[in-house]
Amino acid sequence: MAVCTVYTVQSLNSTCSISTPNKTHLGFQQKQVVFYTSSKKSNKRGGGGITCAAADSQTIVIGLAADSGCGKSTFMRRLTSVFGGAAEPPKGGNPDSNTLISDTTTVICLDDYHSLDRTGRKEKGVTALDPRANDFDLMYEQVKAIKDGIAVQKPIYNHVSGLLDPPELIKPPKILVIEGLHPMYDKRVRDLLDFSIYLDISNEVKFAWKIQRDMAERGHSLESIKASIEARKPDFDAYIGIILLPHSLTRCIDVRLLFDHNLPVYPQKQYADAVIEVLPTQLIPDDNEGKVLRVKLIMKEGVKFFNPVYLFDEGSTISWIPCGRKLTCSYPGIKFAYGPDAYFSNEVSVLEMDGQFDRLDELIYVESHLSNISTKFYGEVTQQMLKHADFPGSNNGTGLFQTIVGLKIRDLYEQLTASRAAGSLQATKA
Amino acid sequence: MTSLISLSNVKPNPTVSLNAREVRPAATSLYVGVKAMGGGGGGAKFKGTQMREKKLAEMIESKVVEATEACGGDNKDSDGCRVAWDEVEEISQAKAHLRQKLEREEDPLESFCQGHPYTDECLVNYD
Repeated sequence: MAVCTVYTVQSLNSTCSISTPNKTHLGFQQKQVVFYTSSKKSNKRGGGGITCAAADSQTIVIGLAADSGCGKSTFMRRLTSVFGGAAEPPKGGNPDSNTLISDTTTVICLDDYHSLDRTGRKEKGVTALDPRANDFDLMYEQVKAIKDGIAVQKPIYNHVSGLLDPPELIKPPKILVIEGLHPMYDKRVRDLLDFSIYLDISNEVKFAWKIQRDMAERGHSLESIKASIEARKPDFDAYIGIILLPHSLTRCIDVRLLFDHNLPVYPQKQYADAVIEVLPTQLIPDDNEGKVLRVKLIMKEGVKFFNPVYLFDEGSTISWIPCGRKLTCSYPGIKFAYGPDAYFSNEVSVLEMDGQFDRLDELIYVESHLSNISTKFYGEVTQQMLKHADFPGSNNGTGLFQTIVGLKIRDLYEQLTASRAAGSLQATKA
Repeated sequence: MTSLISLSNVKPNPTVSLNAREVRPAATSLYVGVKAMGGGGGGAKFKGTQMREKKLAEMIESKVVEATEACGGDNKDSDGCRVAWDEVEEISQAKAHLRQKLEREEDPLESFCQGHPYTDECLVNYD
């Protein structure tokens, strides 16, 4: 925990303090005032229709962390679908807005809290992965305000121009999802999260996915895709992903500072309540095509309103190949594993799926053997997967586990809301 | 969603043709329900989206060159090299996002152009 106090933006970057509201942002030419408004003020400004959420309908905040190009938006589409209704960009707003809004859920992209725009990062020599390029003070203030039922004027980072655009109004939704590189980096922001997820894509798979994504682009080649991943890796490892590698010490002064003081360096993913880890398959020897995937769902034990999914017998260690006499699977088959484990210093349950589904009967057969999946009716996971069969990962563990995590979040939301309602009812009686 | 009018002649190609006849639909309501169609399922419908596609594609090309240069010689471990490739990643992801939206026939300017049909960005191109 000590890491957080040392790791704040201010302590790392004395030349760039962009902390308090109504202060000018550094790093881009145009003067920009970030409004941090209460509902009263906004109404005067003609913002209109801002509601303060009642105490019993407080916004629930979910954090989703992953590197760019690692499936955050697919996950968001699955999640909002579980809650019903598609998520769309704000009506009539900035066409380059990164926000998505559905009836229940608002998804904001944490790139909007970049304190340095593209030119600013270039001048200062920091990547977007670097905490010094991000304004955690403003992120904290605004996420807290939304959680408290207050609308905010959130900046917009324009991914086309690389500039910060004028802010957009974000009203408190039932569920706020903050997605990006650093939702669990700052302790203050982390403490606001009711649930957190980390999408952990192994380097082999990341490479395969980025080849699929970029190879058709003019200018890109295998070399450029590889070079980009490798060049970003030290910062990714230091600030987002895994424990520091020694060679990145030479590049990151702030990180070195932590080591000088013998402070432990924690990656974000240890804080996640659920981690979806995506690895190459073990069913095909030496496979590096990245088409068949082994996916692990790592679920933290002891999280309030979150009961980990299990296979057959809760807490036992199980290996299961669902293909045999009852179900025939095509090559390379499907393999499941489940059991208790340790993840960093946390007690976790791990559910693993290697291989892919070819047919619906394989999926429903698997669903019927899983417990604690928080469905409202038999076959709901299969129904969701089928509904979005065109989404990436719909035939493997990424789609399956994303859908299950979506259902778990719906369950968590319902339990949290019910417990708050019960709490306020008791308070009324007293 | 069914189209109100057929736009089968809309160019899926982001390149804005100089000979293209630019047409503004007379009524805003014409925009509603109209999805760009083209080979490969979806393309940019509005001029503003085509311009974004083109700009991002050009930027990928130039930024890859820039990054390759920034990392040349002894500069492989330099800040400039890392930041340059990070820019390539950012722009590649932005381009991929846009492409995925267009494949789903969701022009990002749809909502904006309902509110601002007479802006330059909201021109619809017909050949």
